[in-house]
Amino acid sequence: MGGVLMKKFMKKNRFFVIAALGLIVLAIVDFSLSIKALEHSYSSLKSMLLVIPPIFVLIGLFDVWVERETMIKLMGENSGAKGMLIAFFVAAFSAGPTIAAFPIAAMMLKKGAKYTNVLFFVMVWSTLKLPIVIFQVSTIGLKLTLIINITMLTVFVLGAIVANKVFTETETKALEEKAQAI
Amino acid sequence: MSIDTYIIYGLALAVLIVSFVLDKKKTMKGIKKGAISLLKILRILVPLIFIIGILMVIINPDVITSALGEGSGILGYLFAFVVGSITFLPAFISYPLGAELIEAGAGVPQVAGFLVTVMSVGVVYISAEIKYFSKKATLYRNLISLIGAVLVVLIVWVVF
Repeated sequence: MGGVLMKKFMKKNRFFVIAALGLIVLAIVDFSLSIKALEHSYSSLKSMLLVIPPIFVLIGLFDVWVERETMIKLMGENSGAKGMLIAFFVAAFSAGPTIAAFPIAAMMLKKGAKYTNVLFFVMVWSTLKLPIVIFQVSTIGLKLTLIINITMLTVFVLGAIVANKVFTETETKALEEKAQAI
Repeated sequence: MSIDTYIIYGLALAVLIVSFVLDKKKTMKGIKKGAISLLKILRILVPLIFIIGILMVIINPDVITSALGEGSGILGYLFAFVVGSITFLPAFISYPLGAELIEAGAGVPQVAGFLVTVMSVGVVYISAEIKYFSKKATLYRNLISLIGAVLVVLIVWVVF
Protein backbone atom coordinates (compact mmCIF):
# COMPACT_ATOMS: atom_id res chain seq x y z
CA MET A 1 0.00 0.00 0.00
CA GLY A 2 2.73 2.44 1.03
CA GLY A 3 4.72 1.39 -2.00
CA VAL A 4 1.86 2.14 -4.35
CA LEU A 5 1.31 5.56 -2.83
CA MET A 6 5.02 6.27 -3.00
CA LYS A 7 5.11 5.23 -6.64
CA LYS A 8 2.16 7.48 -7.42
CA PHE A 9 3.80 10.40 -5.66
CA MET A 10 7.08 9.82 -7.52
CA LYS A 11 5.30 9.67 -10.84
CA LYS A 12 3.25 12.80 -10.26
CA ASN A 13 6.18 14.78 -8.95
CA ARG A 14 9.02 13.16 -10.85
CA PHE A 15 10.62 16.46 -11.83
CA PHE A 16 10.65 17.64 -8.24
CA VAL A 17 12.24 14.33 -7.27
CA ILE A 18 14.88 14.64 -10.01
CA ALA A 19 15.65 18.22 -8.99
CA ALA A 20 15.94 17.30 -5.31
CA LEU A 21 18.19 14.30 -6.04
CA GLY A 22 20.37 16.43 -8.31
CA LEU A 23 20.78 19.06 -5.62
CA ILE A 24 21.64 16.44 -2.99
CA VAL A 25 24.29 14.84 -5.23
CA LEU A 26 25.71 18.27 -6.07
CA ALA A 27 25.84 19.21 -2.38
CA ILE A 28 27.76 16.02 -1.58
CA VAL A 29 30.26 16.64 -4.39
CA ASP A 30 30.72 20.34 -3.65
CA PHE A 31 28.46 22.20 -1.27
CA SER A 32 29.21 25.64 -2.71
CA LEU A 33 28.08 24.42 -6.14
CA SER A 34 24.67 23.44 -4.81
CA ILE A 35 24.29 26.92 -3.31
CA LYS A 36 25.26 28.38 -6.68
CA ALA A 37 22.68 26.18 -8.41
CA LEU A 38 19.99 27.36 -6.00
CA GLU A 39 21.01 30.98 -6.56
CA HIS A 40 20.77 30.46 -10.29
CA SER A 41 17.36 28.80 -9.95
CA TYR A 42 16.16 31.61 -7.71
CA SER A 43 17.12 34.30 -10.19
CA SER A 44 15.54 32.48 -13.14
CA LEU A 45 12.44 31.75 -11.07
CA LYS A 46 12.20 35.45 -10.28
CA SER A 47 12.54 36.51 -13.91
CA MET A 48 10.11 33.80 -15.01
CA LEU A 49 7.48 34.78 -12.47
CA LEU A 50 7.90 38.35 -13.65
CA VAL A 51 7.48 37.62 -17.34
CA ILE A 52 4.84 34.87 -17.33
CA PRO A 53 1.74 36.46 -15.70
CA PRO A 54 1.11 39.04 -18.47
CA ILE A 55 1.48 36.29 -21.07
CA PHE A 56 -1.24 34.25 -19.41
CA VAL A 57 -3.46 37.32 -19.08
CA LEU A 58 -3.09 37.73 -22.85
CA ILE A 59 -3.87 34.04 -23.40
CA GLY A 60 -6.99 34.25 -21.24
CA LEU A 61 -8.24 37.38 -23.02
CA PHE A 62 -7.41 35.79 -26.37
CA ASP A 63 -9.60 32.87 -25.35
CA VAL A 64 -12.66 34.98 -24.53
CA TRP A 65 -12.38 37.50 -27.37
CA VAL A 66 -11.13 35.69 -30.46
CA GLU A 67 -13.93 33.85 -32.27
CA ARG A 68 -13.21 30.40 -33.60
CA GLU A 69 -14.47 31.43 -37.05
CA THR A 70 -11.99 34.31 -37.16
CA MET A 71 -9.07 32.07 -36.26
CA ILE A 72 -10.07 29.46 -38.84
CA LYS A 73 -10.30 32.14 -41.50
CA LEU A 74 -6.91 33.60 -40.60
CA MET A 75 -4.82 30.51 -39.80
CA GLY A 76 -7.09 27.52 -40.39
CA GLU A 77 -6.99 24.57 -42.76
CA ASN A 78 -7.55 26.62 -45.93
CA SER A 79 -5.62 29.73 -44.96
CA GLY A 80 -2.70 28.80 -47.24
CA ALA A 81 0.25 31.20 -47.47
CA LYS A 82 -1.74 33.86 -45.60
CA GLY A 83 -1.89 31.59 -42.54
CA MET A 84 1.87 31.15 -42.55
CA LEU A 85 2.48 34.86 -43.03
CA ILE A 86 0.25 35.69 -40.08
CA ALA A 87 2.03 33.05 -37.97
CA PHE A 88 5.35 34.60 -38.98
CA PHE A 89 4.42 38.19 -38.16
CA VAL A 90 2.74 37.44 -34.85
CA ALA A 91 5.80 35.43 -33.76
CA ALA A 92 8.36 37.91 -35.10
CA PHE A 93 6.77 40.85 -33.31
CA SER A 94 6.35 39.03 -30.02
CA ALA A 95 8.54 39.03 -26.97
CA GLY A 96 9.20 36.45 -24.31
CA PRO A 97 10.92 33.12 -23.74
CA THR A 98 10.26 30.14 -26.05
CA ILE A 99 8.46 28.33 -23.26
CA ALA A 100 5.80 31.08 -23.42
CA ALA A 101 5.17 30.28 -27.08
CA PHE A 102 3.79 26.82 -26.19
CA PRO A 103 0.60 27.91 -24.38
CA ILE A 104 -0.03 30.63 -26.97
CA ALA A 105 0.38 28.08 -29.75
CA ALA A 106 -1.95 25.67 -27.95
CA MET A 107 -4.53 28.46 -27.71
CA MET A 108 -4.27 28.97 -31.48
CA LEU A 109 -4.87 25.23 -31.97
CA LYS A 110 -7.84 25.39 -29.63
CA LYS A 111 -9.37 28.13 -31.78
CA GLY A 112 -8.97 26.13 -34.98
CA ALA A 113 -5.62 27.20 -36.40
CA LYS A 114 -3.93 24.64 -38.64
CA TYR A 115 -1.22 22.63 -36.87
CA THR A 116 1.53 23.35 -39.38
CA ASN A 117 0.90 27.11 -39.04
CA VAL A 118 1.10 26.78 -35.28
CA LEU A 119 4.31 24.76 -35.58
CA PHE A 120 5.76 27.47 -37.82
CA PHE A 121 4.70 30.06 -35.26
CA VAL A 122 6.61 28.31 -32.44
CA MET A 123 9.70 27.82 -34.58
CA VAL A 124 9.80 31.47 -35.66
CA TRP A 125 9.18 32.59 -32.08
CA SER A 126 12.11 30.52 -30.82
CA THR A 127 14.69 31.93 -33.21
CA LEU A 128 13.58 34.85 -35.37
CA LYS A 129 11.82 37.27 -33.02
CA LEU A 130 12.63 40.90 -33.80
CA PRO A 131 14.01 41.67 -30.31
CA ILE A 132 16.43 38.76 -30.84
CA VAL A 133 17.52 40.00 -34.26
CA ILE A 134 18.38 43.43 -32.86
CA PHE A 135 20.41 41.72 -30.17
CA GLN A 136 22.12 39.44 -32.67
CA VAL A 137 23.39 42.27 -34.88
CA SER A 138 24.84 44.17 -31.94
CA THR A 139 26.64 41.16 -30.43
CA ILE A 140 27.72 38.76 -33.17
CA GLY A 141 27.64 41.08 -36.19
CA LEU A 142 25.51 41.39 -39.31
CA LYS A 143 27.14 38.61 -41.34
CA LEU A 144 26.59 35.85 -38.78
CA THR A 145 23.11 37.20 -38.03
CA LEU A 146 22.14 37.00 -41.70
CA ILE A 147 23.48 33.46 -42.09
CA ILE A 148 21.66 32.22 -39.00
CA ASN A 149 18.34 33.90 -39.79
CA ILE A 150 18.11 33.19 -43.52
CA THR A 151 19.09 29.55 -42.98
CA MET A 152 16.68 29.02 -40.10
CA LEU A 153 13.79 30.77 -41.86
CA THR A 154 14.28 28.53 -44.90
CA VAL A 155 14.45 25.40 -42.73
CA PHE A 156 11.35 26.44 -40.76
CA VAL A 157 9.30 27.15 -43.90
CA LEU A 158 10.31 23.78 -45.38
CA GLY A 159 9.76 22.09 -42.02
CA ALA A 160 6.21 23.45 -41.83
CA ILE A 161 5.44 22.41 -45.41
CA VAL A 162 6.85 18.91 -44.92
CA ALA A 163 4.85 18.62 -41.67
CA ASN A 164 1.69 18.60 -43.82
CA LYS A 165 2.82 15.19 -45.07
CA VAL A 166 4.35 13.91 -41.82
CA PHE A 167 1.29 14.45 -39.62
CA THR A 168 -1.91 12.59 -40.46
CA GLU A 169 -5.33 14.16 -40.10
CA THR A 170 -5.99 11.99 -37.05
CA GLU A 171 -2.83 13.26 -35.40
CA THR A 172 -3.57 16.93 -36.01
CA LYS A 173 -7.16 16.41 -34.84
CA ALA A 174 -5.78 14.87 -31.64
CA LEU A 175 -3.57 17.92 -31.13
CA GLU A 176 -6.57 20.21 -31.50
CA GLU A 177 -8.55 18.08 -29.08
CA LYS A 178 -5.77 18.20 -26.51
CA ALA A 179 -5.58 21.97 -26.80
CA GLN A 180 -9.18 22.29 -25.64
CA ALA A 181 -8.00 21.48 -22.12
CA ILE A 182 -5.45 24.28 -21.67
CA MET B 1 14.20 44.04 -16.32
CA SER B 2 14.85 43.34 -19.97
CA ILE B 3 13.20 45.03 -22.91
CA ASP B 4 11.16 41.86 -23.45
CA THR B 5 9.50 42.28 -20.09
CA TYR B 6 8.53 45.89 -20.80
CA ILE B 7 7.04 44.92 -24.16
CA ILE B 8 4.93 42.12 -22.68
CA TYR B 9 3.66 44.21 -19.77
CA GLY B 10 2.88 47.13 -22.08
CA LEU B 11 0.98 44.87 -24.45
CA ALA B 12 -0.90 43.01 -21.71
CA LEU B 13 -1.86 46.27 -20.02
CA ALA B 14 -3.08 47.85 -23.27
CA VAL B 15 -5.16 44.78 -24.18
CA LEU B 16 -6.47 44.54 -20.64
CA ILE B 17 -7.66 48.17 -20.63
CA VAL B 18 -9.36 47.88 -24.02
CA SER B 19 -10.98 44.60 -22.99
CA PHE B 20 -12.16 46.06 -19.69
CA VAL B 21 -13.72 49.07 -21.38
CA LEU B 22 -15.49 46.85 -23.90
CA ASP B 23 -16.76 44.18 -21.53
CA LYS B 24 -15.97 43.96 -17.84
CA LYS B 25 -17.48 40.52 -17.31
CA LYS B 26 -15.75 38.95 -20.27
CA THR B 27 -12.45 40.44 -19.12
CA MET B 28 -12.75 38.89 -15.67
CA LYS B 29 -13.57 35.55 -17.26
CA GLY B 30 -10.47 35.82 -19.46
CA ILE B 31 -8.21 36.64 -16.52
CA LYS B 32 -9.59 33.67 -14.62
CA LYS B 33 -8.99 31.37 -17.59
CA GLY B 34 -5.43 32.67 -17.92
CA ALA B 35 -4.76 32.14 -14.23
CA ILE B 36 -5.98 28.54 -14.41
CA SER B 37 -3.71 27.72 -17.37
CA LEU B 38 -0.81 29.38 -15.57
CA LEU B 39 -1.30 27.26 -12.44
CA LYS B 40 -1.51 24.11 -14.57
CA ILE B 41 1.90 24.72 -16.15
CA LEU B 42 3.69 25.99 -13.02
CA ARG B 43 3.68 22.43 -11.61
CA ILE B 44 5.99 21.41 -14.41
CA LEU B 45 7.87 24.66 -14.83
CA VAL B 46 9.04 25.23 -11.28
CA PRO B 47 10.95 21.95 -10.86
CA LEU B 48 12.41 22.44 -14.35
CA ILE B 49 13.87 25.75 -13.21
CA PHE B 50 15.70 23.90 -10.43
CA ILE B 51 17.00 21.24 -12.83
CA ILE B 52 18.25 23.98 -15.15
CA GLY B 53 19.93 25.70 -12.20
CA ILE B 54 21.89 22.51 -11.51
CA LEU B 55 22.84 22.10 -15.18
CA MET B 56 23.99 25.71 -15.41
CA VAL B 57 26.43 25.21 -12.56
CA ILE B 58 27.92 22.12 -14.19
CA ILE B 59 28.03 23.63 -17.68
CA ASN B 60 29.22 27.16 -16.93
CA PRO B 61 30.67 29.68 -19.44
CA ASP B 62 34.25 28.56 -18.60
CA VAL B 63 33.46 24.98 -19.50
CA ILE B 64 31.72 26.10 -22.69
CA THR B 65 34.62 28.34 -23.72
CA SER B 66 37.22 25.62 -23.28
CA ALA B 67 35.07 23.03 -25.04
CA LEU B 68 34.28 25.22 -28.06
CA GLY B 69 37.88 26.34 -28.65
CA GLU B 70 39.25 26.92 -32.15
CA GLY B 71 41.07 23.59 -32.23
CA SER B 72 38.29 21.61 -30.56
CA GLY B 73 37.42 19.84 -33.83
CA ILE B 74 34.55 17.41 -34.14
CA LEU B 75 34.19 17.10 -30.36
CA GLY B 76 33.74 20.85 -30.16
CA TYR B 77 30.88 20.70 -32.64
CA LEU B 78 29.24 17.84 -30.78
CA PHE B 79 29.61 19.68 -27.50
CA ALA B 80 28.11 22.84 -29.03
CA PHE B 81 25.03 20.93 -30.14
CA VAL B 82 24.62 18.95 -26.93
CA VAL B 83 25.04 21.92 -24.59
CA GLY B 84 22.92 24.18 -26.78
CA SER B 85 20.18 21.57 -27.03
CA ILE B 86 19.81 21.00 -23.31
CA THR B 87 17.92 24.16 -22.51
CA PHE B 88 16.53 27.38 -23.93
CA LEU B 89 18.42 30.52 -22.99
CA PRO B 90 16.99 34.01 -23.56
CA ALA B 91 18.71 36.03 -26.29
CA PHE B 92 19.98 38.66 -23.87
CA ILE B 93 22.05 35.97 -22.17
CA SER B 94 23.04 33.70 -25.06
CA TYR B 95 24.16 36.32 -27.60
CA PRO B 96 26.51 38.29 -25.35
CA LEU B 97 27.86 34.89 -24.25
CA GLY B 98 28.33 33.94 -27.93
CA ALA B 99 30.23 37.17 -28.63
CA GLU B 100 32.40 36.57 -25.56
CA LEU B 101 33.09 32.98 -26.63
CA ILE B 102 34.29 34.11 -30.07
CA GLU B 103 36.50 36.75 -28.47
CA ALA B 104 37.90 34.16 -26.07
CA GLY B 105 39.04 32.07 -29.04
CA ALA B 106 36.12 29.71 -29.59
CA GLY B 107 35.48 28.69 -33.20
CA VAL B 108 32.80 30.74 -35.00
CA PRO B 109 30.95 27.69 -36.47
CA GLN B 110 30.83 26.01 -33.05
CA VAL B 111 29.46 29.16 -31.44
CA ALA B 112 26.87 29.52 -34.21
CA GLY B 113 25.76 25.92 -33.63
CA PHE B 114 25.52 26.59 -29.92
CA LEU B 115 23.52 29.79 -30.42
CA VAL B 116 20.98 28.25 -32.79
CA THR B 117 20.36 25.16 -30.66
CA VAL B 118 20.18 27.17 -27.45
CA MET B 119 17.35 29.20 -29.00
CA SER B 120 15.41 26.46 -30.70
CA VAL B 121 16.14 23.05 -29.16
CA GLY B 122 15.14 22.53 -25.54
CA VAL B 123 15.51 18.98 -24.28
CA VAL B 124 14.81 20.00 -20.68
CA TYR B 125 11.51 21.50 -21.81
CA ILE B 126 10.41 18.44 -23.77
CA SER B 127 8.04 17.38 -20.99
CA ALA B 128 6.33 20.79 -21.05
CA GLU B 129 6.15 20.77 -24.84
CA ILE B 130 4.60 17.27 -24.87
CA LYS B 131 2.02 18.44 -22.34
CA TYR B 132 0.80 21.07 -24.79
CA PHE B 133 1.24 19.11 -28.02
CA SER B 134 2.30 15.49 -28.55
CA LYS B 135 5.43 13.36 -28.47
CA LYS B 136 5.64 13.30 -32.24
CA ALA B 137 5.05 17.05 -32.59
CA THR B 138 7.72 17.78 -29.98
CA LEU B 139 10.24 15.46 -31.56
CA TYR B 140 9.53 16.89 -35.00
CA ARG B 141 9.97 20.52 -33.99
CA ASN B 142 13.20 19.86 -32.12
CA LEU B 143 14.54 17.72 -34.96
CA ILE B 144 13.81 20.37 -37.61
CA SER B 145 15.57 22.96 -35.44
CA LEU B 146 18.55 20.66 -35.02
CA ILE B 147 18.77 20.14 -38.79
CA GLY B 148 18.71 23.94 -39.16
CA ALA B 149 21.56 24.22 -36.66
CA VAL B 150 23.68 21.69 -38.56
CA LEU B 151 23.10 23.64 -41.80
CA VAL B 152 24.05 26.92 -40.11
CA VAL B 153 27.28 25.35 -38.86
CA LEU B 154 28.14 24.05 -42.34
CA ILE B 155 27.46 27.42 -43.97
CA VAL B 156 29.38 29.37 -41.34
CA TRP B 157 32.26 26.89 -41.66
CA VAL B 158 32.43 27.54 -45.43
CA VAL B 159 31.94 31.32 -45.24
CA PHE B 160 34.22 32.21 -42.30
